[in-house]
Amino acid sequence: MKEGNRALSLYTLLVFIFLLGPLAIISVTSFEPGTILKFPPEGFSLRWYKNIFEVSMFMETFKTSVIVSMLGNLLALLLGVPAAYALSRFSFRGRDTLNALFLSPVLIPGIVLGFTLLRYLIVVYGLPIYAGLLIGHTVIMLPFIIRVIASSLANFDFAVEEAAQSLGAGRLYTFYKIVLPNIRSGIMAAILIAFLESFNNVDISVFMTGPGVSTLPIQMLTYVQNYFDPTIAAISVILMVLTAALMFIIERLMGFAYFTKR
Amino acid sequence: MNKRFLYLLLLPGILFLAAFMLIPIMLTIASTFVQDGQLTLEGYLHFFRDGYFNRILFTTLRVSVVTTLVCVVLGYPAAYYISRTSARKKSILLALAIFPLLTSPVVRSFSWMIILGKKGLLNTFLLSTGLIHDPLEIMYTPVAMMVGLVHLFLPLIIITLLGVMENLDYELVLAARSLGASSFTAFRKIIFPLTVPGLIIGSILVFVGSLTAYTTPALLGGKERVISTFLYQNAMTLNDWQAASVIAVIMIVITFVVVGLMNKWANRLNPKG
Amino acid sequence: MALLSLEQVSVAYDNHFILEDFNLQLEKGQLLSLLGPSGCGKTTTLRLIAGFLNAEQGKFMFSGQDYTHVPVNKRNFGFVFQSYALFPHMSVYDNVAFGLRLRKLKEAEVKKRVLRMLDIVSLNDFEKRLPQSLSGGQRQRVAIARALVIEPDLLLFDEPLSNLDANLRVNMRVEIRRIQQELGITTVYVSHDQEECFSISDQVAVMNQGKIEQLDHPAAIFKYPASEYVARFIGFGNFISFENRNDEGEDIELSTKGFNFQAVKRLNGAGNKGLLGAIRPDDLQLLVNVVDSKLVSNTLPGTVQVSTYLGRSYQYEVETELGTFTVNQEMEEPFRQGQRVTVYFPKEKLVLVQ
Repeated sequence: MKEGNRALSLYTLLVFIFLLGPLAIISVTSFEPGTILKFPPEGFSLRWYKNIFEVSMFMETFKTSVIVSMLGNLLALLLGVPAAYALSRFSFRGRDTLNALFLSPVLIPGIVLGFTLLRYLIVVYGLPIYAGLLIGHTVIMLPFIIRVIASSLANFDFAVEEAAQSLGAGRLYTFYKIVLPNIRSGIMAAILIAFLESFNNVDISVFMTGPGVSTLPIQMLTYVQNYFDPTIAAISVILMVLTAALMFIIERLMGFAYFTKR
Repeated sequence: MNKRFLYLLLLPGILFLAAFMLIPIMLTIASTFVQDGQLTLEGYLHFFRDGYFNRILFTTLRVSVVTTLVCVVLGYPAAYYISRTSARKKSILLALAIFPLLTSPVVRSFSWMIILGKKGLLNTFLLSTGLIHDPLEIMYTPVAMMVGLVHLFLPLIIITLLGVMENLDYELVLAARSLGASSFTAFRKIIFPLTVPGLIIGSILVFVGSLTAYTTPALLGGKERVISTFLYQNAMTLNDWQAASVIAVIMIVITFVVVGLMNKWANRLNPKG
Repeated sequence: MALLSLEQVSVAYDNHFILEDFNLQLEKGQLLSLLGPSGCGKTTTLRLIAGFLNAEQGKFMFSGQDYTHVPVNKRNFGFVFQSYALFPHMSVYDNVAFGLRLRKLKEAEVKKRVLRMLDIVSLNDFEKRLPQSLSGGQRQRVAIARALVIEPDLLLFDEPLSNLDANLRVNMRVEIRRIQQELGITTVYVSHDQEECFSISDQVAVMNQGKIEQLDHPAAIFKYPASEYVARFIGFGNFISFENRNDEGEDIELSTKGFNFQAVKRLNGAGNKGLLGAIRPDDLQLLVNVVDSKLVSNTLPGTVQVSTYLGRSYQYEVETELGTFTVNQEMEEPFRQGQRVTVYFPKEKLVLVQ
C-alpha cells in the first residue's frame, strides 16, 4: 500500500514534468542573448523582450487581439447573460434544445466554424474582415459565458427574487438589484475565462486575416514558421504570466470546481 | 411566467447564433451536395476515391487514437493520485493542471519545437550521451504531432477524471475493504468500474479535440497533413472551397457520430442512469 | 475475559486529540452503543475498531490477539455505513456476494448464503435490482445483509438509521436487534439518538469530548446519570446546586439557601455522588396549595411564568428562589400564568451528579 502510493506519486510527478517542463524550457530560452534558440541559453539577456516592442506587427496584432476579445466579450455578455438567466430560471418547452444550441459552438470543430464564417460572413454576406473576426469570437465565447454564469445561477436561490417581487420590485429592477449582485463573481469569472478562450484562439482567427487585420496568435504562428529566434519564447513568457494572473483571479472568484465539471 | 419576457431574454442570442453559425453551417452542408446546379454525391465520392485524402484521414485517426490512449495511460493514474492526496497538494496540482489548459496552444506547441527539433533539446541531449550518432527526425512527423497533442489534451482528461473521482464516495472503498478486499482489489472492483463513464467522456474530449486540432499539427506536422490542416490548405492556399466544404462536413459528421456513440455508451455504463 | 478491548488508545487529527487514553471493553454477544453528540469521538472509536484509521498510541485487542496493526481487510468485521455505501454498479445480489467471493467460496455456496441472508432481511425478490431502485429502508437492509453474510466476528454500525424517516427508524431498530440476537453477534453501534441506543443495547456508553462519561445498562443510565453532562444529555432538564450534604441518615440530607431536600441512597452508588441535584421535567410535581417550604422538605414555592400545551401534558416554566424549573404535568385544568404554586421534588426521583 505504502509502496504503491510512492510509485503513484512518482508517476504523477513525471506526468507533471511532462506537462510543465516544456513551458519552463521556453521561459529559460527566452533569455538567450544569441540569435538562435538554445537550451541551456548561452547567457542572460532581455534583448528579445525588447525586440517584441520593436517589431510593430506584434504590437499591432496584440492590440487587435485585446480589442477583439474585449468587444466580443461585451457582445457575448449582452447576448449570454439574459439567455443564461432564462435557461436557469424558467422551465419551458424546448429548453433542452436551446441549451444545446447555446453550447453548440464548442461542439463544432473550430476550424470548420472558422472556414464557414469566412465563406459566408466575409464572402457571401460581404462583412469586413474585422467584423467577421469580432462575430466569430463572440460565437465561441458565448458557450463559456453561458456555462459559467449558469453554474453560478445554479447556486442562487430564486426564492430571494420572488421575495423582492413580493415586496413590490419589478422584474428588471429585481434582476439588477437582487440577481446580478449575487452572481457578480460568476460573471467576472465568465468574462476572464471567455477572454482567455478568445485571446488564445487560432481556429477562427486563422481564416480572418487580411490587410492590417490579424491577431497575436496568428502573428506568432506565421513568425514561428519562418524564424527561429527567441522572440516567440519571450512573448510566450509574457503570455504565460498574463495567463497565470488571470487564472489566479478566476480561482479567487469561484475556485477551480468549474473546470472539473463536465 | 410571461412568454414575451422569455422571448426578450432568449431571442437576441438565438438570432445571433442562427445568423452567424447555424445558417452558414447549413449552407455549407447543403453546398456539398450541389455541383453545377445538380444534386450529387460526387463531392464525397471524389474524396473517398482519392488515395491522398484517405491517407490523411487515416493519419488523423491514427494520431487521434494514439493520443487518446496515451492521455488515458498518463492521465488516469495522475488523476487518481490527485483525488486521493491531501487538500493542500490537491489544490496545487489542480492549479498546475489548469494552467497549461489556459495557456495559448501556440505557446505549447512551440515549446515542443524547441525540444523535438533537429537541433533541439532532445537530440542535443541524446547525441551528447552517445546514445545516438545521427539526430532523430521526430519534428514534422506524426510522432511530433502526437506528442504535442498529448501535451495539449492531457490536462483536459486529468481534470475531467478528477471531477468524477472527487464525486466518488470513498466509503465504497472502505466498505469493500471491510468485506475483505485489498486496496488493489477495491480499486479494480469499485473505483475503476465507477470511473469508466468519466474515462469515456474524457476520452471523447481528447479524441475529438485531436481529430480537429489545427495549431499543433500546423506547427509540429510540417508537410505531414491531418484533416484540419488539409481543410485550411484547400480553403486558403488552393482556394478550392468545394473541397474545403466537403472536408468540413466530414469533420462535423465524424465529431457528432463519435460524441453521440460514446455518450450513449457512457450513459449505459453509468449506473445512476 | 472481554472479547474486545481498547487500551490507552489515542487518535489525533491535525495535532488535535479526538481520543486520548481511551479504554473500552466489550463481552462476546453483547450489543454496545456509543452515544453522544457529533464530535464526541464515537465515530472515531468505531472507525478505529474497524481499522479505517490507526491509533497514534495504545492497543486494540480482539479475541486475545493484538489487532492494532491488522489491516481492515484481514479483520473480518462487518461495517454498516450511515450512507449505506452500496456499490452502485452492482446488483443487490452482487453487493451481498462481494465479501463471499473475495473469500474464494464456490459460486454455489455463495448463492446459498446470499439467498439465505436476503431471506433474513426480507429482500427475497430483490437480487437483480440495482441499489438506486431501492427505498431507503431496503438499501439499509442490503447494507446489513452485506455486512452479515461474511459471518463477521464483530458487527459495526455507524448511525445506520439516521437517513430513514421516523417510522421506518423504529421498525429497523427492532429488526437490527432481532437479527443481532438471533445470530448472537457481538456488535458496536454508534448513534446520537438516545432513544435508539437505549432501545436496542445491552450496554450504552455515553461519550463526551473523546471520553466515556458513563458506561452501563440502558435502564441504569436512564435513571441514574453519573454526571451533569450525561444528565443533561438524556433529558434531566432541572438542576439545583446544593451547599451541604449529609449521608449519615437513611436518606441523603441536602440543603441550600435554607431549603432542605432529601434524596434516596442507591446501592451501587450511581447517580449518588456530588452536590448537583438533577430531576426530569416529568418527575417534578406542581401542587396548588402553597406550603412553607422552609419547613416541608423537597418543596419550593414558585410562580408559573409560561405554560405550553404538549398534547399529552402541559409544560410549565416555574420561577422559584432557586431558579426556573421546567415541569411536565398531565391535568384537566391547566395552571394559569402568574399562579402561585409549590414545586415538589420526589426524593426517589432526585439524583445527585458530579
